Amino acid sequence: MDNKHNLPSPAKFWTWFNPIGRQTGGWAFILNRVTALGLTFYLFLHLVMLGQLAQGPEAYDGFVALMHNPIIIIGELLVVAAGILHGLNGVRIILTTFGVSITRQKQLFYALMAVAVVAILVFGIRMFTA
Amino acid sequence: MSAEIRNTSAPRSGENSWLWLVKIVTGPLLIILILVHFIVNHFIGQNGLLTYADVVAYYSNPLIPLMEILFLATVVTHSLSGLRGIILDLKPSRGVLTAVDWLLALVGVAAISYGAWLALVIASRS
Repeated sequence: MDNKHNLPSPAKFWTWFNPIGRQTGGWAFILNRVTALGLTFYLFLHLVMLGQLAQGPEAYDGFVALMHNPIIIIGELLVVAAGILHGLNGVRIILTTFGVSITRQKQLFYALMAVAVVAILVFGIRMFTA
Repeated sequence: MSAEIRNTSAPRSGENSWLWLVKIVTGPLLIILILVHFIVNHFIGQNGLLTYADVVAYYSNPLIPLMEILFLATVVTHSLSGLRGIILDLKPSRGVLTAVDWLLALVGVAAISYGAWLALVIASRS
């Protein structure tokens, strides 16, 4: 069999995100990777934005007021959701790394994702009703 | 068919096992730190730290900038070592990987220095 197909290459970047024919572990992998990239982007965005603090009270309070709109809140909810999903997926990786729940990885993943969905809903409701 | 079954997380090829350990150790640490960061920023006072004055008052306790800087260093390290892992999966050549390593190290040092500077500036204003 042609072994070349199993080698990673930059051209295969998009296959990471191809959902066709995935098993649960593949979904977990996609989820962890997409949220990782999103959270990394947000981390640097967050640092740059907080630079407004150095400009003084008018700059910062004006900036915060500007951020009070539904589009930004949707973006913030995405960040919260990514954090919850990445963190709980990380809990699964840590547990299985140390030999816990190795034969029940799927169940562990589904249970943690159920917790994530509930947590994201709670945050969403709070953020849009506050 | 490659029927490799990996039950546990392990260093990638080309990933120093210490760097892998950094990701594994900083992960759970971040879960705690991010919870603290979140609770503090959203539940201190009436509605959390919303104004410039709130933030400056919060940073007047010297333990706070210290904690935030440690948090920043941990999250930047976790984030960039994770990014390196993703780049490793693209099988970069040795030369490219060396360049990526330098770039990530530079970005990491710059981000932590900038954040530390910002935290200390805010702390000095109270």
